[in-house]
Amino acid sequence: MDQQILNAIFIGSIYALFAVGYTLVFGVLDILNLAHSAVFMLGAAVTYSLVVNHGQAFWLACIVGVVVSGVMGLVIEHVCLRPLRRRKAPPIAALISTIGLALIIVAAIEQGQTGSFFAWLWVDGPNSVAFPAGTFPNPTWHVGDLTLEAAKVAIIPISIVLMLVLGYVIRYTQVGRGLRAVAENPRAAQLMGLDVDRMISLTLVISSALGGLAGILFGAALGDINPYIGRDNVEVRGLAVIVLGGMGSVPGAVVGGYLLGFIEVGALVALGSSARGGVAFAALFLMLVLRPQGLFGAQLRERI
Amino acid sequence: MKRLHLVSWLAAALVVAACGSTGGGGTSNTNSYSGKTIKLGAILSITGAGGVYGPQSRDGMNLAVKQINNSGGVNGAQIALTINDDASLQPQSAQVAQKLIQEEQDLALLGPTLSNSAVAVHPLAESLKTPILAVSTTGINIVPNCNAPSTVPCKYVFRDSLGEETAIPDNIKSYAADSHPSTGVLLVAQDDKFSSDGGTIVQKTVGQYNINLLKTIKFNKAEADLSPYVTQAVQLKPDVIFITSLGNIPSKIMTEARKQGWTGQFLGGNGFNTATVSKAAGDAGKGARSASAWYLGNTFPSNQDFVTAYRAEYNKDPDQFAAQGYAAIKILADAAKRANLTFTDLAGDRDKLRAAMESVNIQTPLGPFQFTSTHDVKQTVWVIAMDGVGGFTLVHQINAS
Repeated sequence: MDQQILNAIFIGSIYALFAVGYTLVFGVLDILNLAHSAVFMLGAAVTYSLVVNHGQAFWLACIVGVVVSGVMGLVIEHVCLRPLRRRKAPPIAALISTIGLALIIVAAIEQGQTGSFFAWLWVDGPNSVAFPAGTFPNPTWHVGDLTLEAAKVAIIPISIVLMLVLGYVIRYTQVGRGLRAVAENPRAAQLMGLDVDRMISLTLVISSALGGLAGILFGAALGDINPYIGRDNVEVRGLAVIVLGGMGSVPGAVVGGYLLGFIEVGALVALGSSARGGVAFAALFLMLVLRPQGLFGAQLRERI
Repeated sequence: MKRLHLVSWLAAALVVAACGSTGGGGTSNTNSYSGKTIKLGAILSITGAGGVYGPQSRDGMNLAVKQINNSGGVNGAQIALTINDDASLQPQSAQVAQKLIQEEQDLALLGPTLSNSAVAVHPLAESLKTPILAVSTTGINIVPNCNAPSTVPCKYVFRDSLGEETAIPDNIKSYAADSHPSTGVLLVAQDDKFSSDGGTIVQKTVGQYNINLLKTIKFNKAEADLSPYVTQAVQLKPDVIFITSLGNIPSKIMTEARKQGWTGQFLGGNGFNTATVSKAAGDAGKGARSASAWYLGNTFPSNQDFVTAYRAEYNKDPDQFAAQGYAAIKILADAAKRANLTFTDLAGDRDKLRAAMESVNIQTPLGPFQFTSTHDVKQTVWVIAMDGVGGFTLVHQINAS
């Protein structure tokens, strides 16, 4: 196996984990939550800050990072989505309000410098930082020509297990049935006695917690945490992933994530480095032209 | 009566001559400068990608200002320096420059930190006829063609930083002479002027030293996952990997390449030349070579004083960026001293300062300093190698030709 295949699987796992949260919200609400990339960054920033600025253990910081991201999901619902839903605003209004919240979150982190109001959250302003060596065990193994770095290798099973758990919850549990009912027809779900608002809040919490975790894994493995990691690395790619996989489809997001990882790395190997981004989005364009519903769009009768 | 007339004329002539010589000798400067303020504005990347360089430039500048002001200022005038962060962003850099020139009415500017920002800031300073001294920009066409592709030389733009067109070839030449590498791969951030200029220089240079450039691998500077690019470079098994990027990119590439088992030589540019980068690269960067405008242990007369004062002030060692920032203030102070500033006619004073800068001839930590006819530097180049723990060791000293 080539190192590049491993690189593709690794980055594909991040894309998939990020996009699952993206697509979950779309599946339930028919709304693109563009604050998702800011939550991705926030998870990484909070975890880094707890470890480096507040002296907490890495594992504890990770848990807090995921919890804060999940709570941010509630903020998105209560600030950006629910008030608009109450007023029956069109989906584009919700999309714009999530963009607004994303900008606020990024700006808050950007302003976080020693002595500033946000210093408790972040002190490195727009600078890029990395977890200091030794924060978590990160041995590197060499198997033949392959280099396996623990922090990157760990992302693959973590992502797969979490996505399987999510798939199980959606398909086989009562909560999952509730989510699917809301996704299918919120009014009918409400008439059947489901608390739709609660289900939507839960969707945002799960989605944001996964997004935050993806950010933490990304920051830990790549040694690059700054206010823009979400915007620069996963925001648009996440959209590409859910379009490739089928808007609103969780299995589609998983497959789309890995597919994008392979397309990007494949383009780099086959066509040269400057083609990487272009080819990935050419594939997206092709998909939109040939199969607008995405890979899993037609096969799935049910949403999410 | 005739004799009286002659004596009167002679006396008058002597008075005029005396006044003239006083004006040229600088005594009257003291009078007109005394109690005045020389306003300078520095545009530096304190945060963002250039945040690993800007703070050192700032510290060097502040030290020089403090020293000058404490020892009586410039002919009695005090220097007021403001440090303005451009967050490493080109548009912000230009906005700050405009504000400093037009609203703050600074006499001269320093910076910006990044070549990428200089392409917006320098033409602006040129068009507004304000002298600007670049302290760390090393890309192509910083001086004299700040309005490239126009080849009309910019009159108001100077730099005290060593251009990559000198530094990178010197570095490659010295390594080629030492180790005779035969193959190389270039990693370049295609969307950054500094990095792509450095890449162009590497491509132009390697052939002269029989190094076969196997591949140029381009990426975007915001890309966090550089592993596929590094894998591609490592799989070609080159003797040398050239890195012309800045900020945290060199250390990320070095760390990843070493993890992937590559044991060859890293050669780079000005982006390597600060302790922050050397420290971030750690053991992975040990031996990585670059050509620097300054070296901690250089024996130029004013360097020792600079290093001692810097350590006393900041409790740490200076680096190249601190030395260039420090030298820049000394250069502007020397020019201001000789410029016969009026402090009433800003446009005239800016012009006088610009003219005086062309004839600067002082000792700095960078060595004896004069601008070339193209407002560039001609100086000793130090080939240095990262020591694996955040510092550098001297490999070669190349004297100015």
